[in-house]
Amino acid sequence: MPPRLSPTFSLSFGNTAWEKTAAASQRQFSQSSCRQATLRRRKFYDWLNGPGAQLKERIPGSTNYLGAYDRFGNLVRASPGWQRPKPGEEKSVSKESAPKVAKESEPADTDKGSEGDGTPAGQETADELEMAVRRNEQDKKAEMGDADQQLPPETAEDLRPFPLNKHFRSQPVLSEELREAIYQRVKRDGVTVSLASVEFGVSNERVGAVVRLKQMEKEWIAQGKTLALPYSKAVLDMIPTTPYIDPSRPENKGKRPIIHEPINDLPVHPATRQQLFVPVAESYQYTRTDAGKAFDNNLLPADVRIPHPELVQAERELAQGLSFEERRRLATERYAAEKAKKDREEKKKKAEEAALKRIPQRRWDFVFQDINTERVGKNERSEKGVGWRYGFPHEDRKKGQVKIPTEVDA
Amino acid sequence: MPRKAAKYHSLKKIRVRQDWSRWSLFHLANLRPPNVATRTYFQQKWTAKSETRAYHGEHIREKKWRRQFRRDLPAVVPMDHKYLARHDGSEQAAGRGAGADTQDKPRVPAMTPYMQMTYWPLERRLDTAIFRALFASSARQARQFVVHGLVKVNGKQMLYPGYNLNPGDMFQVEPSSVMFATGAPKTRSAVARRIAAEKRAASSEAYEKAKADKPSSTPPEPMPSRPEPTPAELKKHMQSIMESVKEVLESGVGAKDKQKLRDFRNTIRKAISLWRTASPESVSTLDTQYAFLQSRLSTPSTDASAPQTPGPPPTSLTDDETGQLKAAFDRLKAESDYDSTWNKRDASKPYMTPWRPRDYMNAFAFIPRYLEVNQNICAAVYLRHPVARPGLSEVPTPFPIETGQLAFNWYLRRR
Repeated sequence: MPPRLSPTFSLSFGNTAWEKTAAASQRQFSQSSCRQATLRRRKFYDWLNGPGAQLKERIPGSTNYLGAYDRFGNLVRASPGWQRPKPGEEKSVSKESAPKVAKESEPADTDKGSEGDGTPAGQETADELEMAVRRNEQDKKAEMGDADQQLPPETAEDLRPFPLNKHFRSQPVLSEELREAIYQRVKRDGVTVSLASVEFGVSNERVGAVVRLKQMEKEWIAQGKTLALPYSKAVLDMIPTTPYIDPSRPENKGKRPIIHEPINDLPVHPATRQQLFVPVAESYQYTRTDAGKAFDNNLLPADVRIPHPELVQAERELAQGLSFEERRRLATERYAAEKAKKDREEKKKKAEEAALKRIPQRRWDFVFQDINTERVGKNERSEKGVGWRYGFPHEDRKKGQVKIPTEVDA
Repeated sequence: MPRKAAKYHSLKKIRVRQDWSRWSLFHLANLRPPNVATRTYFQQKWTAKSETRAYHGEHIREKKWRRQFRRDLPAVVPMDHKYLARHDGSEQAAGRGAGADTQDKPRVPAMTPYMQMTYWPLERRLDTAIFRALFASSARQARQFVVHGLVKVNGKQMLYPGYNLNPGDMFQVEPSSVMFATGAPKTRSAVARRIAAEKRAASSEAYEKAKADKPSSTPPEPMPSRPEPTPAELKKHMQSIMESVKEVLESGVGAKDKQKLRDFRNTIRKAISLWRTASPESVSTLDTQYAFLQSRLSTPSTDASAPQTPGPPPTSLTDDETGQLKAAFDRLKAESDYDSTWNKRDASKPYMTPWRPRDYMNAFAFIPRYLEVNQNICAAVYLRHPVARPGLSEVPTPFPIETGQLAFNWYLRRR
């Protein structure tokens, strides 16, 4: 092993040019790859101050993702004359006049799926829906200022926060106005969740969640709590949003609402993941129902399993050529039957609740229920028999027993 | 939880982390697809696993994740109800015997990226969901919020960052913490720090003094627990409300007038609590409070105990008064709004004021579809599990699908 000389030793020794070049050409005595690290750091800062500088602050009124830039930090969709707006000019471009929509925009067409250009039969495309949103936003912006300073609407690539992942993009969220409209429709007009879902093109669960969150927000306002409004404004400015087309406004006449997301999502049943070869007579009318049976005996066809089977029913009646009156009668009958069923279930639940004996306490209530300890089953461990039984140790200290709660009651 | 790696943001290895840092952004920009040409299958899988695990649940032990891994991945197919109504599916099975002579253009559905869904069980975790809802600037910070008790699930405090959210769970984070996490950090000079400390000391001193001076506080008088107020009481209450209405309408929106608004709010609450039948949940928002007051005041309780005061109902409202009441309620709403929007300088806040989003946040700002977020109250609902659909996967992962597939295969090995 060569002796370790400190690097300063040779440098401090002589001053002639020959000695300097010799020192430089000699091997490195330091064991750390200091130079490499420095090089990497320099590259990092070069990138941050070069192409990365565009991502430091948001573009007012637009998204700003890595996928929208090329390698040199140029915004791909911008026209050559485009200048990044200064933070001071933010007011002029921000979404103050969001509900103003000038041109007639085509609403997302749901019956395109069956025509089959790229999409298989009966399926919708998410891309269509989102392009409608973006086109609409573009119309709104185009009306407001000169064309050169306006950014064209984002393509799917521009909305990629992770450029390598082609299967993920930032999808629009509901705008404030749309949330308020959904809340008012459900709370004030008393519309059912599924109807509101169809009207606004927002999935059932989302309608429920919007109402729940909005209700809480309004309670906060009544209590005088401080909302996180600056945060909310900034975030909603950074991500794409689905605008609300207010039908009561005169400029929105004859427009359909923008569909936020596909509402009839069919979950892929695990039984259908395998491929089946089922020989069938050619004369046999082999329908979806039969196909479902082939996979799993209990698998229902798609028109029952989707979240809005009533839409299929209504469409079927339309196809049968029933008159408007007739269809309305059938729809009201169905609605009444559904309501009666719901009421019955609720009544049953209430009766069960009433059967419990409840003793209120300060934080929690004691609830008593009649239990037969003898119903422990064959292995004497069934949940129907409760309580600790002699000879059976608790399992909660065993290895692998997770004590994190699995659910929280709402 | 494993300790944070010593070189968490090393420039040597490309490691994208779940945070909004400039290092993550730099690594995102420099990420390359996996080298599948010159490496063995095992090497590819190993690299893919270590790269993806450095992003997905880096703060979770490998064994814990392995137990969570599922080989069946959730997916949906969006259906068109019009098609379902008009066809029963038999037309897809029809061959030439059914008269189908010409072959249509074969339909190629967009590929469903199942392989990007490997880490979907981790998206159920509470800390990850908080990070995805843009309430924290990193998954580790989100975890800290949970552990510090700043997070509620369905209105109850939840201290476990590993809690798996169920569809329909609502989680909320303290808004001040969210503003701290997502806002630009504070740069404080030594002088400013000293001034703040002095102020704090002075105010605490004053508070102590006031506390010592004040005699033992009497408990507030309990509200009369009568089933229905008498008309005389109603009248008195309405008068008090209208008095405060006038006060409120005269006041501007300033710091000094806030007291009046607060008093008004209290008067309303008192008045509402007088009606024992009205449960506080049903009249919790301003609109319902207004509607309730109006309905009760304009149609007074003639059925309750009217005999003493015949003639004109004492508590009916004129149109003018209704308008005033409405205006006062609007003022109340505006005040709350003003309080929230007014983004002023405030040295006591732990973030830079006026608030602005932190640097590089916009490059990471997206909200996946399985969450519905209300930014105003910093609450979100976990709607459903993330799913893959034709062409799109809902698990946000920075890696290409090849890497996802290799990582999936790595974990598949032991099943």
